[in-house]
Amino acid sequence: MTEQARSPWQLAIGIFVAKRLHRLGLWVVAVVVLLAVYAPFLAGETALVWWHDGFSLPILADLFNRRSYPKPHDLLFNVVAVVLPFLILGWRLWRADGWRKLRWSVVIVIVACAACLVPCIPRSGTSWQALWSDRPTTARTSLTAAALQEAGTVSTPAWLLPPIPHRSDATYQGALLKAPGERYAATGARFWLGTDAQGHDVAALMLHGARISLTVGLLATGLSLLIGLIIGAVSGYFGGWVDLLLQRVVEIMMCFPTFILVLAVVAMTSRDIFIIMLVLGLTGWADIARLVRGEFLAQAVRDYVVAAEAMGLPRWRIMFRHILPNTAAPLLITATFGIAGAIGIEAGLAFLGLGDPTVASWGGLLNQGRENIRYAWLIYTPGLAIFVLVLVLNLIGNGLREALDPRAQR
Amino acid sequence: MLAYLIRRMLWMVPTFIGILVINFGVLRLQGMTLSDELAMTGSAKSGEGGERKVEKAGAAVENLLSRFRRTGNDLPALINLRAFSTETGMRATLESLERKLGGEARESERNQREKDLWLYGRHAVLPLAAVLADPDQARLHGPASLALSLCALTSINVEDLDRLSKERRSYLLARNDELKRLRIDFDNTNAAGFRTNDAQSATKAAALVALVQRDVADFQTNWTQRLGSVVAETGFIDFLSRLATGRLYSSTRKEYVFTIIADRWQVTLWLNVAAIILAWGVSIPLGMWSARHEGSLADRTATSGLFLLWALPSFFIGTLLLHHFATSTGQGQEAWFPNKGLSSPGSYWLTPWDYLRDLLWHAALPLFVLTYGSFTALSRYMRANVLEQLSADYVRTARAKGCDETRVMYGHVQRNSLITMITLGSGLLASLFGGFVFVESIYVIPGLGTLLLDAAKQQDAPLLMGSTVISVLLLLVGILLADLLYAVADPRIGGRYD
Repeated sequence: MTEQARSPWQLAIGIFVAKRLHRLGLWVVAVVVLLAVYAPFLAGETALVWWHDGFSLPILADLFNRRSYPKPHDLLFNVVAVVLPFLILGWRLWRADGWRKLRWSVVIVIVACAACLVPCIPRSGTSWQALWSDRPTTARTSLTAAALQEAGTVSTPAWLLPPIPHRSDATYQGALLKAPGERYAATGARFWLGTDAQGHDVAALMLHGARISLTVGLLATGLSLLIGLIIGAVSGYFGGWVDLLLQRVVEIMMCFPTFILVLAVVAMTSRDIFIIMLVLGLTGWADIARLVRGEFLAQAVRDYVVAAEAMGLPRWRIMFRHILPNTAAPLLITATFGIAGAIGIEAGLAFLGLGDPTVASWGGLLNQGRENIRYAWLIYTPGLAIFVLVLVLNLIGNGLREALDPRAQR
Repeated sequence: MLAYLIRRMLWMVPTFIGILVINFGVLRLQGMTLSDELAMTGSAKSGEGGERKVEKAGAAVENLLSRFRRTGNDLPALINLRAFSTETGMRATLESLERKLGGEARESERNQREKDLWLYGRHAVLPLAAVLADPDQARLHGPASLALSLCALTSINVEDLDRLSKERRSYLLARNDELKRLRIDFDNTNAAGFRTNDAQSATKAAALVALVQRDVADFQTNWTQRLGSVVAETGFIDFLSRLATGRLYSSTRKEYVFTIIADRWQVTLWLNVAAIILAWGVSIPLGMWSARHEGSLADRTATSGLFLLWALPSFFIGTLLLHHFATSTGQGQEAWFPNKGLSSPGSYWLTPWDYLRDLLWHAALPLFVLTYGSFTALSRYMRANVLEQLSADYVRTARAKGCDETRVMYGHVQRNSLITMITLGSGLLASLFGGFVFVESIYVIPGLGTLLLDAAKQQDAPLLMGSTVISVLLLLVGILLADLLYAVADPRIGGRYD
């Protein structure tokens, strides 16, 4: 057997994947992401398939309806939901046929994406904005289905509803604090995880809450990575008084109890979920900056940096094209922990009643559990979800540290 | 030693100032500004067709202004050039407020300038009086009288009561009434701009000018005062001086911020101190035990168990414990723990022993929730330290001279491992801090955390800032103490600076 040359990253991935626990962690994250992406298909009132006056897929038309999904992150997830199968198909084709057919698989992906988006554009609207706009929500819902069933209409309609036929933002009258598994009187559908004090379906809330948690984790961490990177790189590469000044700023940020700062800013500005993300991103960069600075200090005296400087390369190029890739490993580790932290803080804010009231959030549900302390499912469901997601992200972070840190390997 | 301590304290000054700056920035982020509030109450654009009703607008602005003056929000954030306002400038501002067809200013801009005019305070009084005294400017007399009356208005609040003598106060109240009475009625339409429709406008203007002349000492400033006000009368300095003199005033609670905090902060302090002692007290033996049984099943179980504990959000565990142990099932069965507060009603009359027991009974759950999260990090650090020390030469020497394992562990290794644990103190304090907000809110403990949360929910900026500053001060003092302990424990630190 010939020894195939492997890059450090491939080696690290090999070490990481070798452990069963890490593979499990990756699977859990993948499942959470898939649940979040396909939340409308799993929980919603809009039928997946409807056969009554001709065959139609109401859910596809509803995905880009601004009235059903008012927040921009929902649009993003919905686009991913539509595009993901085609991306996977294209990836498989690419893997199967090698580099020669790469061009074709790209074409297939693009055509497929375009093809699946075309029927979503309403025919009445001509402008591109019509893709995501206000339009009347489709009538093909669980309630219509129940009404049709009761009436026994002339032409037999057929439909396929999502497994949880309830919206996350709808309050169901007469179904307050139902225990898990109880039925809704109007439609006969079960509340698999019960309902809360306002009559929301907990299962639907959980699925749509996963979207919020993931968005907050990714965007907030992305922002802090960006800020931390720039500040840390400048501080570590230039040194001198710039370093001294920036280190003071970092020290202030480290000393400041971040949670209290976030609390104050969110209370004083706005409870919009994107403002919360922004604030989390703006306050979470101190650790990253410190880390990047250390790496840059260590790398700046290496031979390849000296060589690059001797060649007269501009500084930003040396910093961001030559040194930065060498700091990617610790950054990846910190970012994983950062995502877990951001998810935790957002849930905490929502738990304290300072979250965005217009979106479904796990922390908000837990807050309901605190206010209705006797109802265990309102505590366990969101609490365990936050716990598992944070735990798994920490697990992956630890695994990455083991795999990427040469000192840990020995 | 002393040098080290002074050095650490000096480093804290920029940190504290930085935190104050951030605080002030947050204060200025306050959702409502004067123009927002006016837009909401609708008094800025009262009536149809841009017609202004002087009394209505004046009364609303007065209320808002007194609130803004109380929080220091009437001052510009960083630099204040109002003291250098002149008659010409005032006239230009007034003219730009007009609604003539094709007038240059847009609505939002006009609102902004109008707001500026009201917020100028005493600096605008003399220039405005000059406008009023000029009969050629009769067109502008209406708005000028309104602006003058608002600028010269002295808001008399609860906080001023003890500072003013009785005569002075009644004099100021009478002057305020006079100022209100002397406002010239005018309207402002798209067609005609400002138009005075008050028969007594000339008399009123003259009376206003006379009033200003009578109290000219209140409004006049000389050059040094003006230069001083450039910096001294800015929002940040105002905030600092309010903070330093304890004049931060919470409008929602009608009380001084520090009076509210005074009977709250000790609860939080004791809770945190107890939590820190508990966290270290549990983690150190746990870490040593783990290190002694390194690699055994028990050690591995403890490691994974602590890893799980680390990921458990404290608000989840807090709620869960509240659900299981502090909620009565409703079948006549008492809960194991009380579900709120830190003492039973009537605990004041208990004997010291019973009081202590009552307190521990109440504090058990909150303390556990506050501490369990730090067990993981601390005990892992301790474990790593002990393992590192165990491979040191002196341990081999100790074993060679015949010490048994217990003596090696507790006589030699423990002391050296503890030094590193003390250094962790200052680093971990900041990250542990903040958990008390959850705990206090879940278990309804009247401390700084619940205060912070209430202030945040009511958007009470002064209270929020006051309690944040006090929390941060507690944290900084804690960090300083940890540094001090470190210097005491490790003689190398003290030696380096002396």
